[in-house]
Amino acid sequence: MRLLFLLLIAGFGLSSCNGPLGHSGSVSGQRVVVSVAASLSDAVGDVANVFEKETGIHVIVNAAGSQILATQIIEEVPVDVFISADHRQMLRAIDRGKIDEGTIRDLLSNQLVVIVPSDRSMSINRPLDLIEQSVRRVALGDPEVVPAGVYAREYFDEVGVWNALTSKIVPTRNVRAALRAVEAGTVDAGVVYRTDMRTSLGAVIAFDVPVDRAPRITYPAALLADLPHPESAVQFFAFLQTAKAQHIFEAYGFIFLVAH
Amino acid sequence: MSELLEVTGFTVLMASVATLVMLPPGICVGWLLARRQFYGRSVLETVVTLPLVVPPVATGLILLKLLGRRGWLGGVMDSVGVDIVFTWKAVVVAMAVMGFPLLVRSARAGFEAVDRRYEGVAATLGASPVKVFLTISLPLARRGILAGAVLGFSRAIGEFGATIMIAGSLPGSRTLSVAIYRHAELGQDAAAAVLIIAAVAIGFVAVHVANRLGVAT
Amino acid sequence: MVSKHSLLTLAIQLRQGGFSLDVSVETEAQAVAIVGPSGSGKTTMLDAVAGLRRPDAGLIQVGQEILFNSHSGTNLPSHERRIGYVPQDLALFPHLTVQQNVLYGVSNAATEEHGRPVLQILEIQELLSRTIDSLSGGERQRVALARALMVRPRILLLDEPLAALDIALRDRILPYLERVREELKTPMIYVSHVPDEIRQIADWVIRLDAGQVVGSSVPAEAFGAETGNLTSPTRRRER
Repeated sequence: MRLLFLLLIAGFGLSSCNGPLGHSGSVSGQRVVVSVAASLSDAVGDVANVFEKETGIHVIVNAAGSQILATQIIEEVPVDVFISADHRQMLRAIDRGKIDEGTIRDLLSNQLVVIVPSDRSMSINRPLDLIEQSVRRVALGDPEVVPAGVYAREYFDEVGVWNALTSKIVPTRNVRAALRAVEAGTVDAGVVYRTDMRTSLGAVIAFDVPVDRAPRITYPAALLADLPHPESAVQFFAFLQTAKAQHIFEAYGFIFLVAH
Repeated sequence: MSELLEVTGFTVLMASVATLVMLPPGICVGWLLARRQFYGRSVLETVVTLPLVVPPVATGLILLKLLGRRGWLGGVMDSVGVDIVFTWKAVVVAMAVMGFPLLVRSARAGFEAVDRRYEGVAATLGASPVKVFLTISLPLARRGILAGAVLGFSRAIGEFGATIMIAGSLPGSRTLSVAIYRHAELGQDAAAAVLIIAAVAIGFVAVHVANRLGVAT
Repeated sequence: MVSKHSLLTLAIQLRQGGFSLDVSVETEAQAVAIVGPSGSGKTTMLDAVAGLRRPDAGLIQVGQEILFNSHSGTNLPSHERRIGYVPQDLALFPHLTVQQNVLYGVSNAATEEHGRPVLQILEIQELLSRTIDSLSGGERQRVALARALMVRPRILLLDEPLAALDIALRDRILPYLERVREELKTPMIYVSHVPDEIRQIADWVIRLDAGQVVGSSVPAEAFGAETGNLTSPTRRRER
């Protein structure tokens, strides 16, 4: 009990600072809050660091599943910028009038890749190779629900191998699970995002899904209609679209969509 | 390493605060359900059990609707200049709400196990109902209450769904579970593993402390 | 104020589950014994007097004080009745020391004057710092008695106080009870099934069976073959 009491006193000591949103945390005291899809968390974090060094504005990155981010925005949490992993969640926020629609743009895209376990000797170079008898199981995000799985099915359908593949498909709960299955060697191949491969051990890319043949995967970004920190928000949003930001995103494997 | 310390320390601190916050109401509700019949009793029971049976994210959404700027509680707070959502206070709220049902159950069992004869004799000796509660019921129920506190604390440590909804995933106020999720989503298995070990270690300590206190969990 | 002429008036009707208690007692005796087979309602009767159970109807009056009256709606809560209750299982508070148990009902100021005779009579002094679980059967009995007496109750309720003790111990404790009766003059209701105890302590005996009073008499007559059992309660002159 005494321990709890001590911890409580420490806790009240903490209450003098209101958490990250209460920090000054920067020279000028300005800040901007950004809600980003979980998969973008590191990349946007790096962009934010560069931005902070240049402008002194503190960037607070809130990363979670896009569905949760959209729900939070609808309930008017204090956020300036929203970067979603798909259009559906952005649309939810738009429908409730929370987004400044004039600022919406497709910021990033991703590329699908077909991968195999790194210790397999099979050579798979194109979609037709997947129909071979030697390939027994292929892991995908569930093509009924998971965006990456939906995209993969569209591609395989387009190149005419989907029907032959259906019996081999192992649907997974999300893309990460498909990646793990390939890394563990429990399947012979899988389809994931290029960006997922950056930190992967145990799997290698067999071939890229050509961007022009594949459905468009996009990460839309927008400013909120009601900005808690208007000046900083506009500045950061602009920075996201600069060449410096492009450099960082591409290093993570994303495709940068903003034209110059 | 510094993330490990920061996140673990923050999570343990928040869980402790949440446990202390839920103790007084938890003890009261536990006692009420153990000792008193009253109109609306089953409603209270149901409301208290809700966070246990409803998915945590749903509880988080309800809390967000209450505490967000549009919510009636949040609107009041906003006008007074108090921020809860996206701050450490939201972490405490999420943890306390999720741990509360476990505390109440255990506290209630603790009170039910107190022989009413003791309370009756204490009353004949001139003790008012308040004095009986403080000097007899509460001390004799302390095992159940302590077990409830340990359970509530453990639940708070592991809490994720409601936390991420109302507290977000912000550097500096990330809990252990939220940090683990973040690393897992980014494929940073090593970093996730370190935090998972920390979470398991805390669980071990909690169970050990409970056993030392002689309470069954 | 309690006096030798204290009058005990009980009319209690109480139904619980399948059991029905319906008793009527009026007496000037200082020490009233209640006898009867188990399940006849003796403990329930004591509980009602103590305020731990609420009769469906009736009257409970000790001396001039009305503790319960269903006609007028009076129901004094237990903590205002000034009853000293020693239940069958003693109910000594396990988490408190002997001293804390004994002094539970009193504030410090009261103990000095009034408590000393109680501690003396029951020889509690050397037990005060002990824990409850370290006490012997006889010691527990004395502590429970002391605790009840310490609040200067207007009436003492004793539920088979010596039942759990062996003969030797009983013979040792009985004098304490007698001294309590003689020196502190506290009226008492004493539930027991042991004739010797009753003969030594009680002025009047009431017999219960299946929730009803089936007879009352002086102790000497109470345990004769059948002669002691009168069929209706009578008012007993003070001895």
